[in-house]
Amino acid sequence: MHSETARAEPVKDGTILRLIKRIHLPLDDPFALAGLIIYAVFILVAVFADQLATHNPLEILFTADYQLAADLRPGEDGFVLGTTSLGRDIYSQLIYGSRSALLIGITAAFMVAVIGTVVGLLAGYFRGWIDVVLMRAADIAFGIPFLPFVIVLSAFLEPSIWNVVFAMALILWRDTGRVIRSQVLTLRTRAYIDAARVAGSSDLKIVFRHIAPNILPLSFLYGSIAIGWAILTEAAISFLGFGDPETISWGYMLQDAYASQALSTGGYYWFVPPGICIVLVVVAGFFISRGYEEILFPKLKE
Amino acid sequence: MLWAVATILFLMFRLMPTNPLAAYIDPTFTEEQQQLLMAKFGLDRPLWEQYFIYLKNLLQGELGDSFFYRQPVGERVLELLPNTLVLTFSSLIVAYLFGIIVGAWLAWKRDSVAERATIPLVLTTRAMPEFWLGMLLLAVFSFTLGWFPAGGTRSPGSEYDGYLALYTSRDFLSHLVLPALTLAIYSQGLPLLLMRSNMLEVMNEDFVTMARIKGLSNWTVVVRHAARNALLPVMTSFAIAVGYQIQGNVVVETVFSWPGLGRELVNAVSASDYPLAQGAFLMIAVVVVLMNLLADLLYSLLDPRVSHA
Amino acid sequence: MDGDILRVNGLKISYAVGDEKVRAVDDATFSIPGGSIVGLVGESGCGKTTVARGLTRVMTKNASIEGGEAIFDGADLMSMSETEMNRLRWRDIAFVPQSAMNSLDPVYRIEHQLNEVLVQRGGHSRKDARRRAEELFDMVGIEPRRLKDYPHQFSGGMRQRVAIALALALNPKLVIADEPVTALDVIVQRQILDTLKDLQEKLGISVILVTHDISVVAYVCDRIVVMYAGRVVESGDTETVLTKPYHPYTMGLYNAFPDLQSSAGVLTPIEGHPPDLRHPPTGCRFAQRCPFAQDRCTTSGEIALSDVGGGHFAACLRSDEAETLRGDAAKSETWAAMA
Repeated sequence: MHSETARAEPVKDGTILRLIKRIHLPLDDPFALAGLIIYAVFILVAVFADQLATHNPLEILFTADYQLAADLRPGEDGFVLGTTSLGRDIYSQLIYGSRSALLIGITAAFMVAVIGTVVGLLAGYFRGWIDVVLMRAADIAFGIPFLPFVIVLSAFLEPSIWNVVFAMALILWRDTGRVIRSQVLTLRTRAYIDAARVAGSSDLKIVFRHIAPNILPLSFLYGSIAIGWAILTEAAISFLGFGDPETISWGYMLQDAYASQALSTGGYYWFVPPGICIVLVVVAGFFISRGYEEILFPKLKE
Repeated sequence: MLWAVATILFLMFRLMPTNPLAAYIDPTFTEEQQQLLMAKFGLDRPLWEQYFIYLKNLLQGELGDSFFYRQPVGERVLELLPNTLVLTFSSLIVAYLFGIIVGAWLAWKRDSVAERATIPLVLTTRAMPEFWLGMLLLAVFSFTLGWFPAGGTRSPGSEYDGYLALYTSRDFLSHLVLPALTLAIYSQGLPLLLMRSNMLEVMNEDFVTMARIKGLSNWTVVVRHAARNALLPVMTSFAIAVGYQIQGNVVVETVFSWPGLGRELVNAVSASDYPLAQGAFLMIAVVVVLMNLLADLLYSLLDPRVSHA
Repeated sequence: MDGDILRVNGLKISYAVGDEKVRAVDDATFSIPGGSIVGLVGESGCGKTTVARGLTRVMTKNASIEGGEAIFDGADLMSMSETEMNRLRWRDIAFVPQSAMNSLDPVYRIEHQLNEVLVQRGGHSRKDARRRAEELFDMVGIEPRRLKDYPHQFSGGMRQRVAIALALALNPKLVIADEPVTALDVIVQRQILDTLKDLQEKLGISVILVTHDISVVAYVCDRIVVMYAGRVVESGDTETVLTKPYHPYTMGLYNAFPDLQSSAGVLTPIEGHPPDLRHPPTGCRFAQRCPFAQDRCTTSGEIALSDVGGGHFAACLRSDEAETLRGDAAKSETWAAMA
C-alpha cells in the first residue's frame, strides 16, 4: 500500500505534463497561427476593455451643445465609429462586446468539450447499458432543433447571456460525445490497453492514463469549433430580442441597429463592425480547429 | 424519437415559472373568469393528466388554438410550412449545385493559388452570422441599390390564387432572391468542403487510376468515376442540411420578414403564444427527423453496396 | 530480336520524395517476345510495379521517366505524345491490377464498366458491346447473367476473372498483369493462372506478369526477368534461368519460395534488406547481402548484363563460376552465414 501511494505522485505529475504536451498547439500551420493571433488580440481587448473604451457603452451621450448625440457618423464630435440612435458610443460597445463574446465562447466550449468527452469516455469504455442510455440521449439531442430550443429556453428564463451557454451544454455535447465514443471504441481494442488491464490497472486508471490523453486533441478540436458556435448562437439570440439588454454584445448591437432602421438609413458604420468582429473570432476558431485536424488526421494533408 | 422531443417540449412549456395563460388573461378578468379559462385549456388538471391529453391530441394532429390568432395552431403552422420549405429548398439547391461543382473543381486544381485562397474564404462564409449577412445584402441590394424588395413574399396589395400561382409569380421570385441568397452563401460551404475532400480521396482510388490506364477521356475519369463516387456522402448531407437549414431559417426569416415557421416561432415566443410556439417548434422538429430518415434512404439508393447487399 | 513485341532499353524512373529523388527503376533492360508470358519478378520495392505502370505512362504525380526507351510495335512508348499514348492504351496495351476489388468502380454494374471501354475505346455499338461482353465473360468462365452484378457481389477470384475479361475486351497485343493473383489463396491462384495462360495461348497475345512470387513465374511464364533494387539482374528462358541461375540473387530467390505445384522442403530467406535507393551503393547492389561478394563487386562500378549463352543474361562478375556458386547456394548454411 505504501509503495503504491509513493509511486502515485510522480505518475500524476507525468500525466499532467503529458496532457499538456498532447494538446500541442498547431503552430506550423499559418492559418491556425493567424487564428491564435486573432484570439490573442481579442482576449487582450476584452481584458483591457476599461482602458480601451472611451465611453460607458450604455450611457446616453450628449454633444458639447447639449444635443442628444444620436446617429452621429464616424468621426463626428470625436466618436470614432459614430453613435447609435439612442446616443450611445458604437466604438465602446464594440470593445465591451468582446468581453461577452469571449466569456460565452470559452465557457460554452469548455462545457461542450467536458460533457462530450465524459459522455464519450463513459459510453465507449464501459459499453453496456451506460452506452445505450447515453447514445439514446444523444439521438434525442440530435432530434431537437438547436436554435428554436435556445429561443424557447431563453424566453422562459430570465434574459441572460448564460442561457446560451446553458442551452449549448444541454444539447451540443452530442457531436463531441459521439465522435469521442467511437475513438474510445477503437482505442479500447489496442494491445496496450489489454496489457494494462491484464497487469491489473483499474478501469479509472486505464481511462485517465491511457485513453484520455489520446482523445484530448479531439476534445480540443470540438471545443474550438464550439467557441464559434456559441458566439454565433448568442448573436442570433440577441438579434432576435431574447438577449440581456443590460449586457452589451455584438448580437445586441446588431439587433439595435436592425430595429433602429440603420439598414434603410445607410448606417453601415453601425452594423458592419460588430459583424466583422463576430466573423473574425469565429473564423479564428475554425482555423485553429483545422490546424488540429491536420495534426489529428495527417492523411488529409497528403 | 419525436415522442421524446414532444415530451421535452411539454415539460419545458408546463414547468416554466410563468403562467402559460399570462398573455391571454386580461388584467380586468375576475378570478372566476381566470379559473374558467384555466379549465377551458385544461390547465386545472394534474400534470400527468395534462400530459396524456397532450399526447393524445398530438397523435390526432390536434395542436390546440393559438392565443393570438384564435385559430387552430395546426392550420396556421401548415399554412406557413410551404413558405419555409420553398425558401429552404431553393437556397439549398443553389448552394449544393455551386458547392459540388466548385468543390470538385478545387480538388482538380489541387495546390493551385485558387485552391489555397478558396478554403479560408469558404470558412469565412461559414463564420458569418446568417442574419448579419442578410442585413448586409438587404442594406446594399434593397435599400442602397433598390434592386430587390426589402421583405415579405409579395408586394402589398397583390393577391394570388393558391401557393402555385404565388410561387411562380415574378413578384414572389424577386422577394425570394435575397433571403435565398443569404442562406445559400451560408450553406455552400458544407457541400463544397465535403466534395473537395471526397474528390481528393477518390482521385487516389485504384479504379480512377484504372480508368486512366483504360485511356478513357478526362471527363469520364473525373466526372463519371471520381465525382460520381465522391458525390455519395455529399448527397446524404443534403437531407441533413435541409434539417439544419429549417432551424437556421429562424433568423433569416426574421430579417426578411418572411412568413415562415421560424419567424412565427420567434413571434409566438415573444408574444407568449405558447400553443403556437409549441406547434411551430414541433413542426420544425418533425422536418428535422424526417430529413434524417430521408438521408439514410437516399444513401442506400445511391450506393449499390447498400442497396444490392 | 525481331519477334519482340516490346523492347525496354535503359529505362529510368524516379520518384520525388520530399526534396530527394529516388531512382526506383535504374537502367532496366529486357524484352518481351511476341506471344509469350514473361514474369517480372523481385522483392517489393525492386521497381517491378514501377516498370509496369511506367509502360502505361499512368503514374503518381511525383513519378517521372528520366531516360530510356520502350519500343512497342516499332514506336517508343516513352517519347510519344500523350495523345498517341492514349490511343494505344487498352486497345494495344491492357492492364490487370493487383486488387480487382479496388480497381472496379463500386457504383456501376460490371456490364457498364465493360461497355465503357467497348464503346468509348473500342468503337463498338451498344448492341455489339453487349454481345462482346457476354463472349468475354464466357471466355473467363463466368456466367453472362452476372454482367448485371455490382463488383462487391463477386468473390475475390471472380473479380480477378472480371479484371481479365476487361483487359481482353479490345483484343490487346500486350497485357500487363500487376500481381494478379497475390491476394488470392493458392487454389484460386492456380485456377486464375490457368485461365490466363490458356487465353494467352489461344489469343496469341503477350503478357507481362509482375510478381514477387517466383513459383508463379515457374508455373506459367515462358521467360523471366529478375529485378533487384531498380535494376535487372538476370533474364532469360524460365526453365534455364531457374535451373541454371547465374546471379546469386536469383539463386537465393528460388530458395525462398515454395513451389506452387508441390510442397517444398525448407525455405531459406535472403537475409537483410534491399539498399536505400536514395543513396544506392556503387557497384553491384546485391553485394551487401550476397554470400559470394568480393571486393571488386563494390569497386568496379555498375555491372552490365552480359550474355551467358542462349539469350540468357546475367549481371554478375562471377558468372563464370556460376556452377560452383549454385552448389553452395543450395545449402542453407551459406545464406544463414549472412545473418
